[in-house]
Amino acid sequence: MAEKDIALMAHLMRRAGFGATYEELEARAANGYEATVEELLNPEGQPAIQDDILMRYQPQWVSKAGLEGQQEEWTYRMINTKRPLEEKIALFWHHIFCTGHAKCEYPKQQNIELDMFRTLGFGNFEELLMGLSMDPAMVFYLDNCMSHKDAINENWGRELLELFSLGVGMDGEANYSEDDVKEAARAFTGWTVTNSVPRYPYGKYEAAFIYDPSDHDYTDKTFLGETGNFNGEDIVKIVARQPAAARFVARHMYNFFVADEPQVPAWQNTPPRDPEAIKMLEDEYFRSGYDIRSMLRVLFNSDFFKNAQFEKVKSPTETVVGTMRLVGDFDMPRPGLNAMTLTIRYMGQDLLNPPTVEGWHTGREWIDSGTLVERINFTADAVGNTSHRGVQSIINRLGSEGDTISSERLVDGCLQLLGHYQLADVTRNELVALADSEGELRTGTDEFGQRVGQMLQSIVATTEYLFE
Amino acid sequence: MVTAQRISHVQLQYSHTIGRGEQFGPGFTYPIHMALGEDDLMYVLCRSSEYRPEGTRITVCTVDEEYVNAFARGVPQQGPHEYNFEDGSLVWPVNVAISSNGTVYVSDEWLHRISMFTRDGEFIGKWQENIGSGDGQLDRPAGLAVDADNNVWVVDGNNHRVQKFTPDGKFLAKFGSYGSGDGELDSPWGIDIDNQGNIFIADWRNDRIQKFTADGRFLMKFGSSGSGDGEFNRPADVAVDRDGIIYVADWLNNRLQIFDPDGNFCGEKTGDATVSKWGKDKLDANPEMWGERERAPGLEREKDFWAPTGVTVDDMNRVFVCEGPRNRIQVYRKQSPMFMGPRL
Repeated sequence: MAEKDIALMAHLMRRAGFGATYEELEARAANGYEATVEELLNPEGQPAIQDDILMRYQPQWVSKAGLEGQQEEWTYRMINTKRPLEEKIALFWHHIFCTGHAKCEYPKQQNIELDMFRTLGFGNFEELLMGLSMDPAMVFYLDNCMSHKDAINENWGRELLELFSLGVGMDGEANYSEDDVKEAARAFTGWTVTNSVPRYPYGKYEAAFIYDPSDHDYTDKTFLGETGNFNGEDIVKIVARQPAAARFVARHMYNFFVADEPQVPAWQNTPPRDPEAIKMLEDEYFRSGYDIRSMLRVLFNSDFFKNAQFEKVKSPTETVVGTMRLVGDFDMPRPGLNAMTLTIRYMGQDLLNPPTVEGWHTGREWIDSGTLVERINFTADAVGNTSHRGVQSIINRLGSEGDTISSERLVDGCLQLLGHYQLADVTRNELVALADSEGELRTGTDEFGQRVGQMLQSIVATTEYLFE
Repeated sequence: MVTAQRISHVQLQYSHTIGRGEQFGPGFTYPIHMALGEDDLMYVLCRSSEYRPEGTRITVCTVDEEYVNAFARGVPQQGPHEYNFEDGSLVWPVNVAISSNGTVYVSDEWLHRISMFTRDGEFIGKWQENIGSGDGQLDRPAGLAVDADNNVWVVDGNNHRVQKFTPDGKFLAKFGSYGSGDGELDSPWGIDIDNQGNIFIADWRNDRIQKFTADGRFLMKFGSSGSGDGEFNRPADVAVDRDGIIYVADWLNNRLQIFDPDGNFCGEKTGDATVSKWGKDKLDANPEMWGERERAPGLEREKDFWAPTGVTVDDMNRVFVCEGPRNRIQVYRKQSPMFMGPRL
């Protein structure tokens, strides 16, 4: 198996999933790149996580009563899923279609939302927007339950256009007007949720979306240049056929799966980093009838994707989940799951509780002096623990190469087995010098595993390792 | 036209509900199982979660909902928010049983440990070997039952077997192995012993109940995967009353199923919860919620069981069903035999 094929597979698995062990990369590379893309795009072909076993040992996951428990569960699923793109697409849409625990009547409602992302998230964008419009967590989060025919609340109408489907503008032009926001809000009057059962004494119950025709504004609306007695479905249909919707989805996909773009508020006046790539995705949006899976297929099989290795800063979730998958920890629920999950929060990403409806700023904004220390400490602790199955595998693999290995080979072998990471020459040379300073490395000694662990720790502490 | 009639000699009458969600004092935090002790005291095992480990404890209260105390908490009331692995603490407690001399036994499926407490909550010992599959070793112990001789039966979940110990934890016997054939088990959970000394096991991942003699000989089985009458979706616990009637906590079907001594389906309960005494106290302290409840559609859902994991029956024909997600226990009472037919 050519190492370049394994390196490309490592890139694919980092982006379409959360990374993979070297053994998995070898197996997938042998199966072929396009075949792997198809497997990832059709997750139902792989076994689901066995929920009954999870809930037996984590019974509180039945009720999903608190933020921490939900974060634990989702993190656990991301670490252990055989369907990595299913969880990655849920994370993708959670980045965009934000709801937050801080304004959520019943935490389980966000879990129901995630399930929607796992299924509708691969499908038709118009259907996904419809699902979102009727999602009780979102209806409550953006106050559409407070929008009435004689007193509209513009929050949902505004964010639907600004943050969920079109964006403020593109190519220097605005994508919609203030009047469009108001007209959209009017069209969605009557889209509400049932009253909630109060928390005491036995906890919350799921809310349900309901359409209240008596509270709907039936007068004509003019929206994005079209006039009619529009209801919410009409607004979604009109939105989905806008060129701006294609641009919006394409740029978000590029930013999440390919390479860091400027932050979303800048998109009106900042052209895409790779206009040709965006054009390909926009074309596929319309050709496929707004099909997300088709767009992802184009993306993952494109040269612009394959050539974008290490062009993106890992998110905190990708950092933690990827590290756990690599080292093979938390393959069953165990105490410590909560602390591990909280690390994602400490690195700057409080899953299911984003700072605002705009979600998180990504790319280099993930990194500051505090979050950098969290990242390095967490990853170094994990890869330096030679009892972890994944670390042991790296040690054994390198140890099988001969009685001794050179300092160069120690560095390059660790980079290879971490998933073909690349270092700047100056960084690599420093690590080789570090290995040299420790003396000859004999593979059959107790010291060997420790030296490999230390080298892995040094690598994950580099600037280069922040990227994927 | 002849109206279909059902003859059943088992009728459960809903009595009342006990509990509310609390980390401290009157209330429970994910009550996963319970046992009845002397003076009609309930020992309610609260599993809680890692992010609220202080809620992991045994709450002692009366059937009339008078709070007595709590023990085995192991974690101070004011943090740290992490599990305590010391003797007398619980991490993943799953089952509780009480011997005739009042010793309270608790299984812990993370520590692979059986802990012993006095009836007042004082830690008096444990048995715990390294995780393993040898005689006496445990791998995720689950259900517990104490027989007439005060020997302790432990469902050894990940070893797919049942082990018998002396009251202080010396290995005596075992039966069962992994599989789906007669007498084989797949990740068993709950256990009970009838007044003949027969052993009933909730054969969790086989979606069935199996009955064994006290020396481990297979006697019968009933149930299969599904949601119809007599079918199960991961039965978590089983209890047998003095008349041999069998009650099964049908976990993911959110119901209690009732069977005659031969394993024939007699009926089901899907829940009848009402506001508990502790619940009323809470609502009285937050009176706006009484109004919210009146306005909330679908309040009838409050009656329903949600993922019951424990069922306990006593000699007074009271049946207690533990519902972790709702932090409560619903109590039923079996009625005298009666004929159920159409109304006149």
